[in-house]
Amino acid sequence: MYELSQYAFVASFAALGLALFLYLANLVGARSVQLIGAANGGSISTSTALGAVDSAGRYATIATINALVFLSASLIFRTIDSGRGPISNMYEFSLAFAWGAVIICLYFEVAYRLRALALLVLPVALGMLAYSTTIPSEIRPLVPALQNDLLLTVHVSVAVLAYGAFAVAFGGAVLYLFQRHDTVRWLPRAAVLDEISYRAVLIGFPLMAMTLILGAVWAHIAWGSYWTWDPKETAALVTWLIYGGYLHARVLREWRGAGAAGLLIVGFGATMFTLWGNYFLGGLHSYA
Amino acid sequence: MLIFLLAAAVLAGTLLRQVPPSILANPASYAQWLENARGAYGPFLTDVFEALLLFDVFHSIWFRLLLGLLTVNILVSSIDRWKGIWTAAFGTRTRMGDAFFEHTRFNAVLTPALPVSTTAERITGALSDTRYRVQTQVDADAVAIYADRNRLSGFGSFLSHVSLVLILAGATVESLWGFSDPQFIVSEGATSELGLGTDISVSLEHFVDEYYLEGPPRDFRSEVVIYDKGVPVKEGTIRVNSPMSYDGIRLHQSFFGQTAVMKVTDTAGQTLFSEPVPLAGRTKDEGRPLGSFNIPEQGLAVNVIGPTSGLTDPLVPAGEMRVEVYAENGDRLVAVQNLSQGAPQEMEELSFTFQREGRFTGLKVVKNPGINIIWIASILMLLGLVMLFYFPHRRLWALCKPGPDGTTEVRLGMTAQRDVSLSREFDRLSDRVAGELGTARESGDSGGGAKDV
Repeated sequence: MYELSQYAFVASFAALGLALFLYLANLVGARSVQLIGAANGGSISTSTALGAVDSAGRYATIATINALVFLSASLIFRTIDSGRGPISNMYEFSLAFAWGAVIICLYFEVAYRLRALALLVLPVALGMLAYSTTIPSEIRPLVPALQNDLLLTVHVSVAVLAYGAFAVAFGGAVLYLFQRHDTVRWLPRAAVLDEISYRAVLIGFPLMAMTLILGAVWAHIAWGSYWTWDPKETAALVTWLIYGGYLHARVLREWRGAGAAGLLIVGFGATMFTLWGNYFLGGLHSYA
Repeated sequence: MLIFLLAAAVLAGTLLRQVPPSILANPASYAQWLENARGAYGPFLTDVFEALLLFDVFHSIWFRLLLGLLTVNILVSSIDRWKGIWTAAFGTRTRMGDAFFEHTRFNAVLTPALPVSTTAERITGALSDTRYRVQTQVDADAVAIYADRNRLSGFGSFLSHVSLVLILAGATVESLWGFSDPQFIVSEGATSELGLGTDISVSLEHFVDEYYLEGPPRDFRSEVVIYDKGVPVKEGTIRVNSPMSYDGIRLHQSFFGQTAVMKVTDTAGQTLFSEPVPLAGRTKDEGRPLGSFNIPEQGLAVNVIGPTSGLTDPLVPAGEMRVEVYAENGDRLVAVQNLSQGAPQEMEELSFTFQREGRFTGLKVVKNPGINIIWIASILMLLGLVMLFYFPHRRLWALCKPGPDGTTEVRLGMTAQRDVSLSREFDRLSDRVAGELGTARESGDSGGGAKDV
């Protein structure tokens, strides 16, 4: 099972790389077709070319779905092998994070018929997979503090989805900065990008709250205190507060634009800091 | 603004070194700690940080002030918004004026070739099918329709904000009426008084630590008996993920270590001391396990030092204990000996015996009467966020007026509520209504324009 899991991992890595390549092809293609189209005043050949570009986009989506399937398979095989949720160390968490980012990205791609988002979210997922190859992948037994199957599985999988949503918000925010004045024709309109980021935060924010609360429940059981200002939990709280601040500014003051996009990028920085902070700050989350 | 200040404060508390409470309690070790900090941050920054209480952010006056301000802010704005939330949920007008349909962000006009009453019926039917709650008002000149969904959503905002105040209230209850001892030590075969104003004591039958073949720990467990006023009231096993509770007090497995069972007798053969001594401390030089006890009759203080684990220790060979005897309440070292197991040694005219090794368990003892407030607040927080963000309040108004040649003019409008983007929902609803009426949307503005993505 462990080997199957590793094969599935490699397959998902390849599929994700291919997907990113196809998204790029789709983008570059759309761009050049539009340029040609502008020069020719829109001839028949343009629409044929557009069809080809469109199918590159479709294949990109299919490749992403494949990557998601392989990644899920890798995590499932690992679960079968170890007999517990596949999210108890940094290797497993990296895979799960990539999984969360891909699934939420796909959701937005389907819901908004928008492929450009993947250009920024897939590199984050690929980065996590590449990072996971640098850390030991063998299945290790759980130390006593982690021996709580239910909380381990729920606390961490909710966190993975929250991080994935924030990665999508980040992707939308970066694209927004390129597209601020609606000058880039092959990107979705700025208002759409802004809305996607906002939607992603709407999904991620309650999930992050749930991660914090489940963490507090677990800490109450295992450490005897629901809140200890442990670096990882404090970083998670900061992340949550940043997105909370974004939501307040956006909902109450209609705050949009480059500033809001910048804050989402800072928020994703805080998310990444939460992910890795325990490596250089120590604390009770030392196993993850 | 406040929320970002709070985030910055919490960030400072994460990034800067924080003084542990144990060091803060002792001025000498605090001075030493600051000296170390000077090495890390430089003298100037250290003084600035100390003046701003940045080395103990979470207990500082200004952090509490910030939390107090946040509480006031949340309460005031919740009260302020209550009326608006209430009106949106229960007091919405069914008929809106013409100006509303012209100026609202999402609007459309339909002109079906149907009489007003049929049109209104079909619209009501179409909206009911989409799980909207529909109200109709028949006026002399028109039929007004109001449909909404998830109308309690706005209360989610109220719940999640109030839950933050409840969490702070729970933390306050904890700090006023709760207590905690992070280092409650019980040795195997001994009983320790809990103290902290209770009559509870705990005895340890066994402590067990198990390891996987690969090396990492597999299980830590303490088999204990709890006594209240000397009467055994509860017994069981405490593990890392399964604490034991009695009378609102919880015992958590926290750490463990080695004990040396020591016996001291005087020349007449009378036993002065016979107990396991937990080696829970560390010597300053090599970090050997260190424990101590007193013999009050003789005014002696005794240190027991165990061998460094895992190494051949030249000072304390494995299987031996090094005993240091201090007179004058621990000020003057009068005797040092290594004791082999079971062999009595004469020191200061007393006989010292290291009888055997054992284990002690370190429990964290917590009483937190505020914890249920915290859990209730957590549930309210999640409930509130889910209501607010996953089930947003949607509101649609339609106004049907007679048009020329037996047609009806239908105007549709949705408010652009600030916390949800409605364009796709508006498109969905108005297309559905239009389909039911057998007509197409003539004009319309779906605001954000997510349609043409």
